[in-house]
Amino acid sequence: MAAAEENIEAMILRIEHKSKKIENLLKQSKPVEALQKALEGSPTNTRDQRCKSANWIVVHRAMMAIRDVDGMFSSLDPEYYDILMKYLYRGLATGDRPTCDQCLRIHEKLTEKAGLGCILRSLAETVNTV
Amino acid sequence: MSAVEVHQFAQCITCHAWSPDRTMIALCPNNSEVHIYKFATDKWDRAHVLYKHDQIVSGIDWGLTSNKIVTASHDRNSYVWNQEGSEWMPTLVILRLNRAALCVQWSPKENKFAVGSGAKIVCICYYEPENNWWVSKLIRKRHDSSVTGVAWHPDNILLATTSTDGKCRVFSTFIKGVDTKDSGTSSSRDLKFGEQIVQLDLSSSWSFGVKWSPSGNILAYAGHNSTIYFVEDVCNSPFQQNVAYRNLPLRDVLFVSERMVIGAGFDCTPMVFTKDETGLWSFVKILEGKKTAQPNLKYGSQFSEAFGKLYGQSKNDGVDPLKSRGGAHENTITCIAPLRKEGDTIVRRFSTSGLDGKVVIWELDEKTEIPQ
Repeated sequence: MAAAEENIEAMILRIEHKSKKIENLLKQSKPVEALQKALEGSPTNTRDQRCKSANWIVVHRAMMAIRDVDGMFSSLDPEYYDILMKYLYRGLATGDRPTCDQCLRIHEKLTEKAGLGCILRSLAETVNTV
Repeated sequence: MSAVEVHQFAQCITCHAWSPDRTMIALCPNNSEVHIYKFATDKWDRAHVLYKHDQIVSGIDWGLTSNKIVTASHDRNSYVWNQEGSEWMPTLVILRLNRAALCVQWSPKENKFAVGSGAKIVCICYYEPENNWWVSKLIRKRHDSSVTGVAWHPDNILLATTSTDGKCRVFSTFIKGVDTKDSGTSSSRDLKFGEQIVQLDLSSSWSFGVKWSPSGNILAYAGHNSTIYFVEDVCNSPFQQNVAYRNLPLRDVLFVSERMVIGAGFDCTPMVFTKDETGLWSFVKILEGKKTAQPNLKYGSQFSEAFGKLYGQSKNDGVDPLKSRGGAHENTITCIAPLRKEGDTIVRRFSTSGLDGKVVIWELDEKTEIPQ
């Protein structure tokens, strides 16, 4: 469908814009804002894998730049907990050692903050995936 | 708010139901029998054992006005039990299912009952006096997977169902000769039997435990994704609210009043949800599980103990998930039933039964304000 494809192209453009803003934020040593920006507007309700991969790359970049995980949670908006958990599982699925290490570090703290319900929601979600 | 009584009846309980005067409890100890226990002075006596089913009894409901028990089992059958003297006499109801029956509930007037099954069918059974038997009418359409829960609207016609396809549906079960057309309710167009009124596609995971509020205005059901869904004014203009909570999923819910819901499930303790003045539903707290000697304990200590358990839990989960958490139940709660006294509009006492074989009775003491 032409309309859906247009949306996808628009989404990819938006993700590219986001990526530039995130690079800037990371240069200014604001990794938490960068992560929040990356999680904002995640393409969960499309089936297009390119969009999802593009957004994952952006989220991954921001996530790997985080050093202080506890500090991150004091400023991350709780509405992003569910989507962050979904990306953590995507990260763990890659099998890449540094990615998995970082994901596990964040996962431990996120579970404390958001509870087991957050994990359940990311596991049970078959439709709005990342 | 606390657990006032804890009773161990079996190794594992599938479901339970209370007698109209609340002195007897019918439960299934995870086999094909139904045990009825009667409370005598200070202990429970096993008064009757109903042997008829061949497989696990998955649902029991006890009619509060008719004193009839209906049971549904994985053996694809349902029996209606009538008490004659000291014996319970079964009447087989031929459901025409080719898969297990999973849940059963009497309608508010107790002239019909609904059975949800793994055959993606809901059976509505009514009594035909001419032939002295129960006839089942099937709702075959619409469900894509097992029907896990059924709930009757107070008007005795609308039925809500939840299914493992993630959707909650409302059907009309109007039967000519059994139900009378009430000019005040929905238009005649909707009154055809088996007509789907609305399909709620809010959860992408299995849904369980659907219940209507006492007025029939609000529908609540639990999703397996640790979310509880509240839908208001279902038939005309559905207004939904999802409440995502931090605990493990719920299996069953109960409306204590119009604005307060108790949910129970895999986290082994009941959770309270209330609707505030602005109409927003939210999670309030977990009910304290420890049995207290005096029911009127100070609020402060109960709250902080419960929260301490909540936050301390996640660290210990990885160490020993099977260790008892100190609550009343040690395993998943699968069934929650009200213990409503005659004339009460709100529920102050309710019971929960679970896979640990315990039935725990909870009481919301007078100090607790229940929003209505």
